[in-house]
Amino acid sequence: METPRVIPSALRVFEFSLGQMLWSRRSVFLALLVGAPIAMALGIRIIAAAHGLPVINGAGLTGPTLFGILMWLLFVRFIVPVLGVFYGTSLIADEVDDKTITYLFTRPVPRSAVLLGKYFSYLACVVLLVLPSVIVVYFLIVPIGGSIGQSFPQLAADLGMLVVGLASYGAVFSWVGARLKRPLIVGLVFAFGWESTVLLIPGYLKRLSVAYYLQALVPHAMPQDSSISSLLSAFQELPAVWVSLVCLTGITVVGLWLAGRTVEKREYVLEQ
Amino acid sequence: MSAKTRYFVIVSLLVMGVGLGTGLVAYYVGFPATAFFSKNGPEELRYMPSTATVVGAVEVREIMASDLRQRLKDKFGSDAQDNSRRQFQELTGINFETDIERIVACFDSHSSADNTALVLARGTFDATKIEALMREHGAEVQDYRGKRLILATKLFPEDTADHALNNDSNDTDVQPRKLPAHNTNMALTFIEPGLVAFGGRPLVEQAIDLHTGGGSSAATNDDLVAHLRGLEGSNAWIVGRLDAIRERAKLPEFVANQIPPITWFTVRGQIDGGVAARITAEARDDESANQLRDVVRGFLALAKLQTSSKPEFQRFVQSLQLGGTGTTVSLAVDVPAQVFDALGAAVPKQKQ
Repeated sequence: METPRVIPSALRVFEFSLGQMLWSRRSVFLALLVGAPIAMALGIRIIAAAHGLPVINGAGLTGPTLFGILMWLLFVRFIVPVLGVFYGTSLIADEVDDKTITYLFTRPVPRSAVLLGKYFSYLACVVLLVLPSVIVVYFLIVPIGGSIGQSFPQLAADLGMLVVGLASYGAVFSWVGARLKRPLIVGLVFAFGWESTVLLIPGYLKRLSVAYYLQALVPHAMPQDSSISSLLSAFQELPAVWVSLVCLTGITVVGLWLAGRTVEKREYVLEQ
Repeated sequence: MSAKTRYFVIVSLLVMGVGLGTGLVAYYVGFPATAFFSKNGPEELRYMPSTATVVGAVEVREIMASDLRQRLKDKFGSDAQDNSRRQFQELTGINFETDIERIVACFDSHSSADNTALVLARGTFDATKIEALMREHGAEVQDYRGKRLILATKLFPEDTADHALNNDSNDTDVQPRKLPAHNTNMALTFIEPGLVAFGGRPLVEQAIDLHTGGGSSAATNDDLVAHLRGLEGSNAWIVGRLDAIRERAKLPEFVANQIPPITWFTVRGQIDGGVAARITAEARDDESANQLRDVVRGFLALAKLQTSSKPEFQRFVQSLQLGGTGTTVSLAVDVPAQVFDALGAAVPKQKQ
């Protein structure tokens, strides 16, 4: 019997994985993650309507500035890596933990197609949740002293950046999830330990992180909210946008290829 | 795919579609394709008084990125320019080369205010930083119709002027200069994100009034708009009424009599690799226009005579073309980049 090709098989896996991923226990966590910025934006909107936005150094904050701060602090530095870690590492690891991976691997589809289909369903799931959340936050915040039309190119750039970021983090952590036994801990250490640290160290080490390339795509100025941010700004040496895009695409492709190869070669021993 | 999942996907795509569609419409409605120069002039005219006597605009970013500017920078050096730019940035928080997209300015000779100029700059500004810097230099902040009006009533008080101009410790070549403290009636406000208005306080307040309530503005001045229509495609231009300026200037009679009876004048410039400009003047009648043409013709002949032995200037003078019919007199000049190269070679090099 001829083995089905990778892409049609991956699409089939995608189809059933999407629903599974959307309505799983993890979705509660996901809903909290994307709902929190909306609740925060709603709160800011109500406060701004009643008292106006706070004044810093004698000058009033504006909606577009605040939106930029939210993008940096909530989405770029927290939500995108967290989603990548939690969902990326679970693509294969969850099936192993639930001891259901055998059912998938005994199907007449290439093993890499299983991973690819699950990766696409992760991407669709997070994109369909995160992007609408950003758009709602944008429409709640930006009109406070700002113009929707004028800030629109920044929103478009933000959305593109988020998709690229989610794809890259997802690919890296799907490999981590396929390769390691305790992928979540390693993923969290990588996302919030390694990435934050290397960005502070002058030199070439920062090029071994996803955040370095992703930050170059953010169209807003980096907020000076803490001493770490000030240090980051001091050592800020961002690559060109095209370099970032090429590198992030490379990270995604290589991450997926490594993950697919690992899934093809590795023998998963299920604990009894 | 279950029905639940399908509904979720549809709702999510709907939110994205509506959001992006609305943003796109707002973007195109707020910023037409030819934002700098629509058929009836730049949109900043809406915030300028209808009685504006002279209006001018410069597409700063385009000119700063032009080949000509780079060529001049290479030829004549840029230390002095860099120092001036740095000082301006220290005082205002604005990097003239990168932050400003375009400037539209007007002069209103009918205004009774001390300062009759209004400058509208569009670009990327850090409002917080600019306001903080201005306050550091003695400015005060007031509220005017919901906008923050930064008043520079006493500009460059002695203590702050010293600080502003001497705090660049790397710059040892620039001698400290103290700007004289003086009273002004200048104001600055951010009319909308990315648009700053600076000028005489009454004009800035009027710009806020026009922004919030609309009304009669330079954009509704039919004569002005009619003259602006001929300027499309240029990246620097000026339009004005010379007769109104003459009245305001209160020149001595013998001087005023020497000035040709010109009503409207326009200067249209396109700066890229070289400079192409056209100066047009409308005389009161045909006879005045003919007299003006004769005067210009005489000057051109004199210039050709004077530059016959200076080849670096010859090409420039030869490019001057006198034209116009009826009451209109025009002088066109097209200076290619090679002329600037020749001028650069003729100018003695500055000592390092």
